[in-house]
Amino acid sequence: MIERTPILNAITHTVLGLGILIMCLPLLIVFVAATLPYEQVIDVPMTLIPGSELIVNFNKAWHRGDFSNLGLNSIVMTLGILIGKISLASLTAFTICYFNFRFRMFFFWLIFITLMLPLEVRIIPTYEVASNALLPFQKILESLYLTDLVFWLTGIEIGLQWNLLDTYWGLTLPLFASATATFLFRQFFLSIPEELAEAAKMDGSGPLRFFFDMVLPLAKTNIAALTVIMFVFGWNQYLWPLLITTDPDMRTLVMGLENLIPSEDELPEWNVTMAGTLLVMLPPVFVVMVLQNHFVKGLLGGDK
Amino acid sequence: MYRTKIMFLTFTILALTTTSGIAEAKTEFNFWYGLKGYLGKQVAQVCDRFNASQDNYLIVCTGKGSYDQALQASIAAYRAKKHPHIMQGVDSSTATIMMSGAIYPAYQLMSDTGYNVDWDDYIGSIMNYYASSDGKLYSFPFNSSTPVMYYNADMYEKAGISGPAKTWDQFEEDLRSLKNAGIECPIAFSFYTWVHLDQYHYMHNEPISTRNNGFDGLDAELMFNKTSYVNHIKRLKRWHDEKLGSYAKNLFGIGTRESFATGKCGHYFGSIASHGTVLKTAKMQWNVAFVPHNKGTKPNNTVVGGSSLWAMKGFSNEEYKGVAAFFNFLRSHESQEFWSTVTGYVPVTKSAYDSLIAKGFYAKKEFAGREVAIESLTRTPPKPLSRGVRLGNYRQIKKILDEELEKMLMGKKSVQDALDNAVKRGNLQLRRFEKQYKGKSLP
Amino acid sequence: MIKRVIFKNQRLPYLLILPELLIILVFFYWPSIQAIFWSLTLEPPFGGPAQWVGLDNFRELLDSEEYYSSAGVTLLFAFWTTLISMGSALILALFVDRVIRGLVAYRAILMWPYAIAAPAVAVAFQFIFQPGVGFFAFLNDIWPGIWDPSIDSYDALVMVIIAASWKSITYNFIFFLAGLQSIPKTFVEAAALDGADPIQRFFTIVFPLLSPTFFFLLVINVTDSFTEGFGIINVMTQGGPGGSTNILVYKLYQDGFIGLDLSSSSAQSVILMVLVILLTFIQFRWIERRIHYAE
Repeated sequence: MIERTPILNAITHTVLGLGILIMCLPLLIVFVAATLPYEQVIDVPMTLIPGSELIVNFNKAWHRGDFSNLGLNSIVMTLGILIGKISLASLTAFTICYFNFRFRMFFFWLIFITLMLPLEVRIIPTYEVASNALLPFQKILESLYLTDLVFWLTGIEIGLQWNLLDTYWGLTLPLFASATATFLFRQFFLSIPEELAEAAKMDGSGPLRFFFDMVLPLAKTNIAALTVIMFVFGWNQYLWPLLITTDPDMRTLVMGLENLIPSEDELPEWNVTMAGTLLVMLPPVFVVMVLQNHFVKGLLGGDK
Repeated sequence: MYRTKIMFLTFTILALTTTSGIAEAKTEFNFWYGLKGYLGKQVAQVCDRFNASQDNYLIVCTGKGSYDQALQASIAAYRAKKHPHIMQGVDSSTATIMMSGAIYPAYQLMSDTGYNVDWDDYIGSIMNYYASSDGKLYSFPFNSSTPVMYYNADMYEKAGISGPAKTWDQFEEDLRSLKNAGIECPIAFSFYTWVHLDQYHYMHNEPISTRNNGFDGLDAELMFNKTSYVNHIKRLKRWHDEKLGSYAKNLFGIGTRESFATGKCGHYFGSIASHGTVLKTAKMQWNVAFVPHNKGTKPNNTVVGGSSLWAMKGFSNEEYKGVAAFFNFLRSHESQEFWSTVTGYVPVTKSAYDSLIAKGFYAKKEFAGREVAIESLTRTPPKPLSRGVRLGNYRQIKKILDEELEKMLMGKKSVQDALDNAVKRGNLQLRRFEKQYKGKSLP
Repeated sequence: MIKRVIFKNQRLPYLLILPELLIILVFFYWPSIQAIFWSLTLEPPFGGPAQWVGLDNFRELLDSEEYYSSAGVTLLFAFWTTLISMGSALILALFVDRVIRGLVAYRAILMWPYAIAAPAVAVAFQFIFQPGVGFFAFLNDIWPGIWDPSIDSYDALVMVIIAASWKSITYNFIFFLAGLQSIPKTFVEAAALDGADPIQRFFTIVFPLLSPTFFFLLVINVTDSFTEGFGIINVMTQGGPGGSTNILVYKLYQDGFIGLDLSSSSAQSVILMVLVILLTFIQFRWIERRIHYAE
């Protein structure tokens, strides 16, 4: 349909131009600040002309913020979360869709309810569990007097211990479970034609073979979409790493940014801070821009 | 992945709880500290020096971020029985840690391991903070400081001020003189409760709370809304209203110290520990002096700030011998001299201080002025109201006070209302603390 | 719902579902139950015997002025970030939808903020909003003291609201755009032929068809502002000045982690949990139903 609306068109472009400006202005300022030397960045008002100190500032941010170390942590954490989440979610969704077992619906609702318990509202006790992930089991054993029994019989004292603080496991394991991802997969699996499963059963292949050989390949685009989303999610995790690491060596890049903020002890070298911000932003921005379509698909839940 | 998990699980279940000591060459023990940046590096140095000084024990020091983060880490670790031997606690957390049941009192540790410590050698106003009501030390003072007044000598010259003020009234006049001489920012200030609440009350022998600032019992009630603190806060507000200074909270990295050190503002009140930092940045003539007192009063000693080291329960005798050795090492004149050199913190024993004076330490340019801190700490022997505070949840109380004062500064409340509300909210915190430890009392 | 064709294994499903179950049991349910316990006692920071106080912690919270002021701040924060974020996103989506060429390019440029972590946004905006350096210093030179988030509660709140809104515009934008693109062109054309101008078309056709997306985003935005705000506030203002940016979730963290008041923090957690559950419940019940209607 061709409609002649010159005024509206003009407004359209103005608004969009403004929109882009607003969305990109912070990035512009961050970028320019990252290219300036110290004297210029504290200048009032700060110039908007980029300087030439970008690499220098990158270097400083990298070393001051211990980025090589933290970067490694971020990468391990992100990949761990990514792989863990997608594996568990797909497996769980598959189980819920393709098996009829007692407690099936109960487990389904159990997973569903976790959507309503974001980390922020259960911070403190989750932290305590992180210092000993086997604590629930220990407590259960104790309350059933099993620990006493074993001690009485054998003299061995059972002390279940698994300290997740300051470990890679701690950074990733608790985030393996994802109700959203599970439901996404479930939605997709429900739409797989029944004939496929029939064919698999007739062929005599078991459920696992069916899962790995037929279901997963079909879910490729969904997995790609989720990968993008989960990569950004994992990379940008803030609260959980903040709680679970006290050892400065185990911190992640995003946490490290906070350390680059000038403190009272130091000169306000914001140019270095901004350079660090750019560095930390790069991987997820890169992933999102390059895999745009997958990203959008992932966000929208794969059905648009 | 699952296989690894199951393996891990099995392995852990099969492991016994207590680890028997495998015959090791050196006994190891852990120290978690909460100092960051430059100061953190110096702590690591202290640890290295201890290890180099003897062959029996090895201390493993780990920086755990800030005071808060280090304390949280220690607490979580203690709950999981994976805590360090030594933890660092900031002064305001003293009461909480003392009542926790998690610590091995210092005096007991030293006597149990056979060390004969001259407790009287410790500077009174430092030791009392961390001691029980009958004078037995519970934790080791480590980085100790006290507030001083930093002043810009160049600005004094310009405004014709001969020397730092001794009384608050004189000080306020000086601020006005500076303003009249064309100086835009005579002082960078904040409500820094450590200086303006704590030390103010100590110096003027007024109570922050009943029960001798909490030393005598858990049923203390806050009183600072009824002392001359009210007038003092009104004074600070006056400075703000008359633009005699700028309120500089540390947001965006520009706090009071920064404003002073860059030469922008003429004064700031802060810890002697920052002496070295200011030295690095300041390009003008400056010095430190006593924090002023009210006219007509004879000021008491100021009290220590900083943190102390706590030995934690749950370890073997052999390991505690190592801990005691470390604490003993820290007491040595040599170690205290090192610490006073690389940081602005002061020595904690009288004999160490004397030896530093004898060596001409304070005559050196870069350390000149730091003796003001010691003199401030030893001005009088500590009195019941100048020993410090022993109030539970004190950190929370201070935060509440900060919040109320900020609201007051924004014009939302009067000074008296803000302080009344702070006392009301603070008392709730004290009651919670008391209830938590029902039936128990402070040592 | 379940597939028609299923596998008959008896024990395998339990085994397959075990990992995820274990994780949510250990990291979601156990802590939540523990939070409930702690909220009913006075849990000492280092552990040890705890005093049972029943609902006293809750009573104290609901009696305290600061809890309500914190709730008020949270509501303000949620309201404004949702309004600004969704409003801007809707406007942008509407205009991008009109563009025939360059749609992908526009979308690409508008998409990248999603990839930025909350603390990074906070750091960047903190720099931009500083009173002493940068753009606002310029303003302060002209009108001294007009902008100072370290001491002015409005300035501080404005600052965090802007930072948080900016961050979520992309998310909303993508959903709105997708929603708009899925409206059949025939509807719009028919209306145009009937003589409706773009504004009329918006209200009579576009908005109603967009409403499921709209309500979905509404709940997501509000729920998220409870939680997303944490990263930004922790870096920028730490709840100050004077408690003016002390949203509920930040207060909970501060009381528990720094104040070491585990019980009050747990009580606050429980209250927040209830609120979030309510909100999520509303979303899934009410919205899902409407979506099915619309289709």
